[in-house]
Amino acid sequence: MLVSSGLLMAPLARAQAKPSAAPLAAGPSRPASTGQVVQVRGASPYEITKRAVAEIGGMGKIVSRGDVVMVKPNIGWNRTEEQAACTNPEVLRAVIELTFAAGAKKVIVMDNTCHKAEDCYQRSGIEAMARKAGAEVRFSDENRLAVHDFRGEALGKWPVFRDHLEVDKFINVPILKHHGSSGLTMAMKNLYGILGGNRGKLHRDMGENIADAANGFRSHLVVIDAWRVLMRNGPVGGRLSDVELRQTVFASTNIMHADVAAATLFGRDAREVEFLQAAFARKMGEIDIARVPLKALAI
Amino acid sequence: MDSKRGKRLQRLRIFSQVLFIWIFFYLLVKSGGAEIAHLPQTGLFFYLDPLFLWVNLLSGRFLHAFLLALIPLFLTLVLGRFFCGWVCPLGGLHQFFSWLGWRRSRKKASVAHGPLRLKYLLLIVLLIASLFASQLLGWLDPFSLLTRSVATVVLPGGNFLLQHALQSGGQDAGWAGKAVRPLYEFSRRSLLTVRQRTFLQPAAIGLLFFGLLLLNLRRRRFFCNSLCPLGAFYGFLARFSLLRLAVNEKCRKCNACADHCTYNGSPYQDYLKSECVLCGNCLVDCPAAAIDFRIQLPGAGKRPALDLGRRRLLGAAGCGLVVAALPQVAVSRQAKAHPFIRPPGAVAEKEFLKKCVRCGACMQACPTNAVQPAVFQAGLEGLWTPLLLPASGYCEYECNRCTQVCPTHALASLTLEEKKQFKIGTAVVNRSTCYTYADGYNCAVCEEHCPVPEKAIRLRAVEVQGFRGRLKKVDQVYVVPDLCIGCGICESVCPRTDAPAIRVGAEEEQRENPYG
Repeated sequence: MLVSSGLLMAPLARAQAKPSAAPLAAGPSRPASTGQVVQVRGASPYEITKRAVAEIGGMGKIVSRGDVVMVKPNIGWNRTEEQAACTNPEVLRAVIELTFAAGAKKVIVMDNTCHKAEDCYQRSGIEAMARKAGAEVRFSDENRLAVHDFRGEALGKWPVFRDHLEVDKFINVPILKHHGSSGLTMAMKNLYGILGGNRGKLHRDMGENIADAANGFRSHLVVIDAWRVLMRNGPVGGRLSDVELRQTVFASTNIMHADVAAATLFGRDAREVEFLQAAFARKMGEIDIARVPLKALAI
Repeated sequence: MDSKRGKRLQRLRIFSQVLFIWIFFYLLVKSGGAEIAHLPQTGLFFYLDPLFLWVNLLSGRFLHAFLLALIPLFLTLVLGRFFCGWVCPLGGLHQFFSWLGWRRSRKKASVAHGPLRLKYLLLIVLLIASLFASQLLGWLDPFSLLTRSVATVVLPGGNFLLQHALQSGGQDAGWAGKAVRPLYEFSRRSLLTVRQRTFLQPAAIGLLFFGLLLLNLRRRRFFCNSLCPLGAFYGFLARFSLLRLAVNEKCRKCNACADHCTYNGSPYQDYLKSECVLCGNCLVDCPAAAIDFRIQLPGAGKRPALDLGRRRLLGAAGCGLVVAALPQVAVSRQAKAHPFIRPPGAVAEKEFLKKCVRCGACMQACPTNAVQPAVFQAGLEGLWTPLLLPASGYCEYECNRCTQVCPTHALASLTLEEKKQFKIGTAVVNRSTCYTYADGYNCAVCEEHCPVPEKAIRLRAVEVQGFRGRLKKVDQVYVVPDLCIGCGICESVCPRTDAPAIRVGAEEEQRENPYG
């Protein structure tokens, strides 16, 4: 009996020791003092991304030398770059390069896809581009889940792919697009991609869940790709006539501000978007675009 | 032939078997996960199969690729059963296991005609039945059997074992774990599937496959000698072939040639031309170099072959009629509704059951693991025909692989654009369980995933009276039947854990199709 309980307890003890060693702050992320958003429009997705990150103070302020960094794009769908359902590979390349330039030891790129993972990684062009830029591309491994406490009203403990908990910094690189039930999808919704389990359940009262996900897991930097924007029939899309070329990128260290600013590109007032209302209620930032420190420039 | 030359022939035969096994596995493994533009021709072995040429002749719209089957057919009339001994990949596997059994106990098998005869009677049953629209050859045909077993049991099982071994090995905190972890990461990227593939009834398919392999330990090439309908067909032709074995006057009557005769016979005592697969084992075993090949022209002398017996043949034909009739009097033959959907391109059900050879190539090719071997959903006759099962996966919008690998065009070959239009069924929302109706919550996961660009699943904003009589706004889900193609992704992602609140059924399926 003693032997068997000892055998059982040993791995448990190890498992319990691990999450606490995770360097990520698990608590609610308070808005940065300014929470500035930079919106850059230009002729190349790569260049505007670099500029946007430079304008908010540069990657050096976010990534420290020797960090292991997760760069989390949206690779949810078996769609091409032109169909604009997944993050633009050029935007991703810029972020990965900047991360390495700031001294990151390792950059990991992964997502929990909706379509078959291998297809999404390949067809979106993200796997090839991330590899080329020197990042390690991983699949979300159902055998590597750990329970993370988001400490929210709607979303509490939920299985998260351990890779996201084990890194030093998390950079959120979503694509802006239309979404049937939440209206829009941007950075906050992109955090569903770190979740395992029956994620569909979190589409009940989705606004509250999205806000809790973004509040309970810190994105150190947010870069929203709005180079091509899927304006209708999102989030999967498929029809090129639903895609508009908007040539824009948003960057911020405040996830809510980034989403509030990006919503304007859709002509949407954040106050009408359910998950942004929920984020506002959680004091994650300003919901009135007039009060968000936004700097827009064109290059 | 002296034993040295015999040995050379035997080696050549083994090389040929290994080569064809390799080709078979290479094509099949590669067809899972290959890009559509680079799908390998997994149909190759099926087109070399005269039985499927027959199936194709009976089931309308002739496929010229099956003319390839005439090559082994004519070669058999010259050489005898070379195909079974030198080419057939399943035969090769059975040969290997027989060899293991022979090494275990070098017991001479007793020559018995009963087990050899069985396959001919089975073939007659199946051929007679096939004349009456009950096409069951695929259950036992070697290529169907091998493809199906490898696709639904061997590869997924291997994937599981490797994944499990590497993953638990990689958790070790010591040096072993450090060594295994990179191997695990590498395998996940290259070898393993990200999601474990799962299939219906792996136990049944696996027990049959591995059981047949194990039976080789009791009788050499049990399946080939006793069950294989293709072997029986070639055996029938081989009676008339030109090449035969002959024992000459140097024979010392030691019966060493029976040591590991592939058909468990004895070339000296009981040579059966219809059973000999030209394996060359007896040439090696004969200490007197008394066995050789000889040409026997038609009409010259007696042709040593198995006596099937007229009564047995008649009996088998009678059984064939019974097997033909039984499925035709099942209710499912008349019912207009049926509780399953087929993969895209599936021709009308009656024709489908005739054309499909139950090989499972479509199951291997399906990237989302949606195509599954039927148990009894499509009647006993439909056992192992492909179903599209949203509980397991969905029909990927940007994919037409199954329609490309189907060797018999039971799934008609569709271009990607044709496939996107092909309606395999229609989704229906169950308002008693869908969150947006039953509970008054927003959900719309199905709407999100619907791949039809103009969305076959839509949201309708309504006000409902919630708990305590308060009015609340809900986006209720509804299906536009004319747009829905029945891909089933909605059903596969519905978050309900009792039963999906949106299901795809065969309503409006496009089975009487113009593509044929």
